Formats: sequence, structure tokens, C-alpha cells
Amino acid sequence: MFATRVLRQAAVHAERTPSIRFLGKRTFPASVDPTPKPHPASPTGALPASWASASAHPTFSAYRDHAQQFGPLRKTIKATSGGIGGTAGSELGPVSPPQGVFFDRNDLPPRFHRQPLTAAEIEAIETGGAALYA
Amino acid sequence: MLSQRLIGRVAVKSAFKPLGLPTIVNASRWSRTYATGSDARDLVIIGGGVAGYVAAIKAGQEGMKVTCIEKRGTLGGTCLNVGCIPSKSLLNNSHLYHQILHDTKHRGIEVGDVKLNLKQLMKAKETSVEGLTKGIEFLFKKNGVEYLKGTGSFVDQHTVKVALNDGGETVVAGKNILIATGSEVTPFPGLEIDEKTIISSTGAIALQEVPKKLLVIGGGIIGLEMASVWSRLGSEVTVVEYLDQIGGPGMDTEIAKSIQKILKRQGINFKTGTKVLSGEKTGDGVDVQIESAKGGKQETLNADVVLVAIGRRPYTKGLGLENIGLELDERGRVIIDSQYRTKIPHIRCVGDVTFGPMLAHKAEEEAVAAIEYIKTGHGHVNYGCIPAVMYTAPEVAWVGQSEQDLKKAGVKYRVGTFPFSANSRAKTNLDSEGMVKMLADAETDRLLGIHIIGPNAGEMIAEGTLALEYGASSEDIARTCHAHPTLAEAFKEAAMATYSKAIHF
Repeated sequence: MFATRVLRQAAVHAERTPSIRFLGKRTFPASVDPTPKPHPASPTGALPASWASASAHPTFSAYRDHAQQFGPLRKTIKATSGGIGGTAGSELGPVSPPQGVFFDRNDLPPRFHRQPLTAAEIEAIETGGAALYA
Repeated sequence: MLSQRLIGRVAVKSAFKPLGLPTIVNASRWSRTYATGSDARDLVIIGGGVAGYVAAIKAGQEGMKVTCIEKRGTLGGTCLNVGCIPSKSLLNNSHLYHQILHDTKHRGIEVGDVKLNLKQLMKAKETSVEGLTKGIEFLFKKNGVEYLKGTGSFVDQHTVKVALNDGGETVVAGKNILIATGSEVTPFPGLEIDEKTIISSTGAIALQEVPKKLLVIGGGIIGLEMASVWSRLGSEVTVVEYLDQIGGPGMDTEIAKSIQKILKRQGINFKTGTKVLSGEKTGDGVDVQIESAKGGKQETLNADVVLVAIGRRPYTKGLGLENIGLELDERGRVIIDSQYRTKIPHIRCVGDVTFGPMLAHKAEEEAVAAIEYIKTGHGHVNYGCIPAVMYTAPEVAWVGQSEQDLKKAGVKYRVGTFPFSANSRAKTNLDSEGMVKMLADAETDRLLGIHIIGPNAGEMIAEGTLALEYGASSEDIARTCHAHPTLAEAFKEAAMATYSKAIHF
């Protein structure tokens, strides 16, 4: 019967579940595998062989553990590796100089050392700058 | 120099007064040891194009200390300066001009003497470009982004040397570095681009006069958009395309044939399946030798101006990649992984200079995702769902897979189409060329691709992209209420035609 068919079709539509539906608040997974994987648009679908040898530190976090830039970037490196920051500062003992001893800037890396003065500079200082205009 | 050094000495002297307390000495010692540490940026971005500037703003919003290096002198890269934006200005205004000349009379609007003022047309274009590029500079300030005008090149894995545009040089260090140097026009061997008679897309948006004859090498999106502009302004335009269809990769074959017919009716000549052999400048233009791609008789075409629009290639010139050992693939793209990392993990790369389609919106998506990967370890770009738009009249837009893609992959699919000639709004606008074509999985009804030719197709494709991103079925769209009378109803009706039947066709 036509009426029955219409009713049946209406029932089908009533039970239909849309494909688009709300999945809930956005959440991040607890952990992510940071191992490099090929880019989805990569024409070869693979990473070059050179990546395996290049990647001594397979993860960004591991890289940052070992990266040096004016000292360690993020975390300390084990003392056995001998890098800067290999030992916690607190374990290095007091940084205060012993009584009667003072640090000199020459204890710092060479870029902080005093620069040699030229004769003209010495004269300029001694004459209060007048030598520059003499 | 001398005065700076003297000032430095005075400062040091005061810190080392023999009577100073030991505690003071300690503090100054530590601060001096790490004094330069504060100069390191969280992120240094090389390139201030769409990929670079979006990444810079996003990074600024995420609280990162960020520097963006751009050598053009204005932000926005190819897209804003010599690409998408200026071409859209010319397309829109040339369309208006063409419409006033040929279309308004039968709408009941009679206009007197209509003249083209090309200089003013170009000025309008420049105003748009200037407003937008300055807008990005404002956004940089708003989001605390440091902007360096100069050419950046790698010194080492953490340091970028910048040859400043105003002279001089500076060095910036970054914990992370993002390569976003974009792309450049691919030259055609034997045709040296002088941007006057042999031009690239950059020259095509800045011609001083309308050429009598324009020859376009390459029937992709850029070639066809520029062909439309100059054809509307009065040029006799011929497009030479090596492949058998126009529109470039990704355009559905049925759609490509359809738009070719429409553009042909508008006066653009096509030579598909034709290769360009050589070109030679003559006294009054350029002679270009062509022959069928399958071989055959040669032919010479003469034109006042030849536009080379055969594509773009990644731009890494002068970047100093050799200093950090980063290699490129066979097409000159920077090789990256799924998180945009190069093989040096803190150096990432997004946009035209790496994998994927060379589209501004793809670059923007990648830029945001790359910053999110740095900041949170999560990012998202769906490469199966990146829309493409060609801004001819009518516009052509698509997202997802084409019919030829699905056939090749052996996927069973259903097709639903709806013509704009059956859409009420298009009819009232007297602008009813084109159609909406929808492809859905034959079994699950999940959308696989959407292809549109028609008025405002570029806006309409957003609905399709959203549906595709969410994994909608064609029935989902068909059961969503669309306002009447709108062009969007054609979209709904195409969805109805895909899973069942359209009402109005």
C-alpha cells in the first residue's frame, strides 16, 4: 500500500542518525609519539634515510635536553656527559668567594675580558677627552 | 665606538669596586654569565609572507618572544603584494568594467560613455594592497612581534644572520626557527622574463597599457585569472596549455571542460594539448613557436605580451641551508615530517617552500599548526580538505577528490549535480552559468568531493569544506535548512540529487 510505504519511509528518516554530531569538548591525548613520521603531503610517503643518522635525538624534547645555547636550553645534562649544567647549581657549593677574595672579570669567558686600550684612548681618558680635539 | 667602550668601562669599574660586598659580586657574576641569554628568541621566522606572518602572530598570541624576518620591505609575501590580493582587485574591477560595457543594458541600466582608466585601476589595486600589508604591521605590534626588514640566512642551527635592508647586519638567535620563505615563478627555458613583454604573474598585474594580443603559457589558475582580466579590458587572449584540460591539477575534468567552454564564449582562445617550443622577441612583440604535445606541425603565434604562468617553485635562495646541512627534495622543497620539523627538530618549515599545494590558506593552516606543535605538541591540518578557488567569472571552486581521482582509486561513488540555471537567486541575478557537483561514497553516502562552477563559488565552497572536514554525508547537507532565495540552495539541491533527487531540477 502506498500509505504504508510512506509511513515506513517516514520511520526510516525519524531513526536516521546524522553523520555530523557534537563529539564533546576538545581534549588532548595524554601522550603523543614524537617520533618523526612522513608528512601527509610528502610525495614519497617516507622520510629520507639521512634522517635516521641525523636524528641523534629523535624527539624534540630529547634534543632540547642536550641543546646548548648560552648554557643548557631546558633541562640539565647528566654529569657524566660533561656538559654545562651537568650538575645542579646547588650541588656545586657556595658561589661566594672566600673571605678577602674577589672575583675578577677575567674569571668570565674571554668575551667579557677587558679590552686592551690604545694609546689614543688612554690619552683621551687622561685628558678628559680633550686629546680627541687637539 | 670609543664612547661606547668608555661607558662600558665605567659600568664595569663600579661593579668591581674593591670595597664592594661579596653578595653584590655574586649577583653580578651570575647575571653577567647569562647576560646574552635573554637575547635568544623563542622563535625566529624567516619570511613574512602568509605562512610567516600568521605564524608570527600566533606565536605572539601564545606568549612567545618572536622575530619575523622579511626582505621585501612589506609583509604579506607573494599573496598580498603580487599575488592573490592585487589580482583579485583587478579581477573584480575588470569584471565591473566588462559588465558595464556588455551586461547592464539588458538589465535596464543604460550607461553613457564608458572609458577605461588603467592607471586608476592599478591605483585601486595598490590601495587595497597597501591597506592590507600595513594592517599586518599593526597586528605585529599588537601581538608583540619583532619585525626585521632584511634577508635572513642560517649561520648555524640556532643563529640567523640578517642583512638589513637599510644597511648593516644583525644576528638573531632562536630556540626554534621557522622557514617560511615561500615560492617564486618557475621560469620558462628560453623565455627571459623582463616584466614588460615577457612577463610573470607579477608583471601581469602591473602592465602599463592593455596589450592588443596577450599569449598566456599555462592554463592553470593564475594563467586563466590573468587571461580573464586582460580579455575583459580588451586584449585578444590565447592560452596555451600542455595538458588536454585547463585548470591545473585537482580540477574535475567535467568542470574543466565546462569552464573552458564558458571562457571560450567570453572570447578567450585555447590551445590545449599544445607545447611551447621556443620564443623570440621581435620588434613589435614576441614570436612563440608551438606544436601539438603529441608532435606534429609547428605553428608560430605572435603576441605583444607573453605571460609565463607554468607554475611556481620553492624559494630557498640565499637561505644558507648548506650551513646547517638541510637538504631539499628533487623539486627543491624542504623535507619535513608530519609536525613540520626538518631533520633538525627545532627548525620547522611551512608554506610553499615545502610539501603540499602552493595555496595561501594551506600555508596559514600550517603556520598555526606548526606553532601549536611547538607550544603544545598538537596541531591539525587536513590535507584531504583544502579548498581551491579560481576567481574567473563565473568562479570555479572545489574541495576533496575529483571524479578522475575516485575512478583511479577504484572507489564506488554517487554523483549529484544541480545547475544554477534552476536556482531562483541565480536567475534573478541574471547570472546562472554553472553548476554544483557533489561526489559521495556509494555505500556510506559520506562526502568525497565537491566541485562548483558558478557565481560566488569561492564563498560557497566553504560550506562544502566544513561538511567534508566533519565527515558529513550528502544527506546531512540535504536535510539542513538553507535560506530562500539564495545561491546556497543550489548546494543543498545538489546534495539532494546525490542521495535522492533534487526538487527543482
